Amino acid sequence: MIRFDHVHKEYPDGTIAVDDFTLEVPSHEVVVLLGSSGCGKTTLMRMVNRMVDPSSGSVSIDGDDVAHSDPVKLRRSIGYVMQSGGLLPHRTVVDNIATVPLLLGATRRSAHARASELLDLVGLEQSVAKRYPSQLSGGQRQRIGVARALASDPNILLMDEPFGAVDPVVRAELQRELLHLQNELAKTILFVTHDVDEAFLLGQQVLVLRTGAEVAQHGSPANILLDPADDFVANFIGGPRRHLRTEMRDGRHIVVDAAGHVTGVLQDDRGAAG
Amino acid sequence: MRFDWVADNMGQILMMSWAHVQVSVLPIFLSLLIAVPIAWWAHRQKSARRVLVPISGVLYALPSLPLFVLLPVVLGTRILDPLNLVVALTLYGVALLVRTAVDAFDSVGRIIRDDALAIGHSPRQVFWRVALPLAGPPLLAGTRVVSASTLSLVSVGALIGVPSLGYFFTNGYQRGFPTEIMVGVIGTVVLAVIFDVIIVVAGRLLLPWVRATDRRRG
Ligand SMILES: Nc1ncnc2c1ncn2[C@@H]1O[C@H](COP(=O)(O)OP(=O)(O)OP(=O)(O)O)[C@@H](O)[C@H]1O
Ligand SMILES: [Mg+2]
Repeated sequence: MIRFDHVHKEYPDGTIAVDDFTLEVPSHEVVVLLGSSGCGKTTLMRMVNRMVDPSSGSVSIDGDDVAHSDPVKLRRSIGYVMQSGGLLPHRTVVDNIATVPLLLGATRRSAHARASELLDLVGLEQSVAKRYPSQLSGGQRQRIGVARALASDPNILLMDEPFGAVDPVVRAELQRELLHLQNELAKTILFVTHDVDEAFLLGQQVLVLRTGAEVAQHGSPANILLDPADDFVANFIGGPRRHLRTEMRDGRHIVVDAAGHVTGVLQDDRGAAG
Repeated sequence: MRFDWVADNMGQILMMSWAHVQVSVLPIFLSLLIAVPIAWWAHRQKSARRVLVPISGVLYALPSLPLFVLLPVVLGTRILDPLNLVVALTLYGVALLVRTAVDAFDSVGRIIRDDALAIGHSPRQVFWRVALPLAGPPLLAGTRVVSASTLSLVSVGALIGVPSLGYFFTNGYQRGFPTEIMVGVIGTVVLAVIFDVIIVVAGRLLLPWVRATDRRRG
């Protein structure tokens, strides 16, 4: 369980990135921070692994204030998938994945064995193992980022727009795989995105944030869709785009948005999923 | 060019070349060893940079001969002690390398060092495992310059009696014997090329990703 308790962060230049933020991320759940650029998502996330220290308030993991922990140990115990990818350009794929086990003192041999397990887990060929990050596609790099975060089997995963830099098809695939992984691994995941669909797909709880990490709404995806707290939230999650209705055409139900654009076809009773 | 003279004196030429190599190796290593931590410091602290980078620039402008003469006074060594030469050459090497090394560390970028910290490197590990290897290519280039500069400066040491290929310049000059001067010049160039090749090969072994990733771009 991760708990943010009235955290506030003012950067030295006077920017208030986080004003007053409180949140409990229950163990084994995925909580998504959803908000537009600059609203303080990364800042919040980096408070968990002490890359940023709050100006006031506290962050605790399972009841222990992280401020009292050794930052290096803490960081090794948390999986972190970075917005920028963050792979080390001078290390091969296996060495990148094995980074944390190696830092923790694992033998090269066992760390590499673990790395090749993880390559399988994130759906990559063993043949990429000896390549350098610059020799991979964006999608492959992001998978490596996830594999690296999982390498020492941490309880907590911080994922900062991990699938931001890939095309929609690959992104959808990565999202499905993450859901699948989470079914098996049941990590405590704090996930940051500005993609509404991604947030609703992955999050058991979603927080819609305004500037200064002010919580505009906190609830389940269905909750937020059915009952947006205010216009800001309604707009952010797509506004009229998500006000759908059905019309009959050629004897079938088609789904139409508020502006009258066709967005899909309802499956008939015989074809189960809708 | 009198090749018979070269053949007759091969023993001495090889001996002087060997002496030349011996005096050169240490300053090249020491320059790297001293310049890197200084540069790391200057890289991380603005105030240190403002002092250290200009000082290293001025250092290189010191004329070598007076320095050779002055060092024994400062160090308390004898005037013909090879140590004077080693110290002076190291000073020049450091002067040459500091700026390059500061730029090398700057080029690594804060983001990647931050990323390395974020996944659990200690600050010391960030230096050894990330910043230093990534600064490798420009550091290597700087070391090649220091190597060439050191090998040619060692010759000046002949003036204060430290044996090297420089002996053939001074001796050949006094005797008005061009062949001997040529031997000194060519010998120094050959040594410089050999050193350069060794450094480049060492770089390939130590920095394997450079070539691997270049191939893809090129
Ligand atoms: N080191 C820093 N110094 C000063 N201001 C900063 C620093 N880091 C972030 N900020 C500012 O704090 C605010 C929040 O930044 P943050 O990176 O947390 O946003 P974000 O929600 O992650 O945005 P994005 O979606 O673009 O990644 C921004 O206004 C940003 O400019
Ligand atoms: Mg961010």
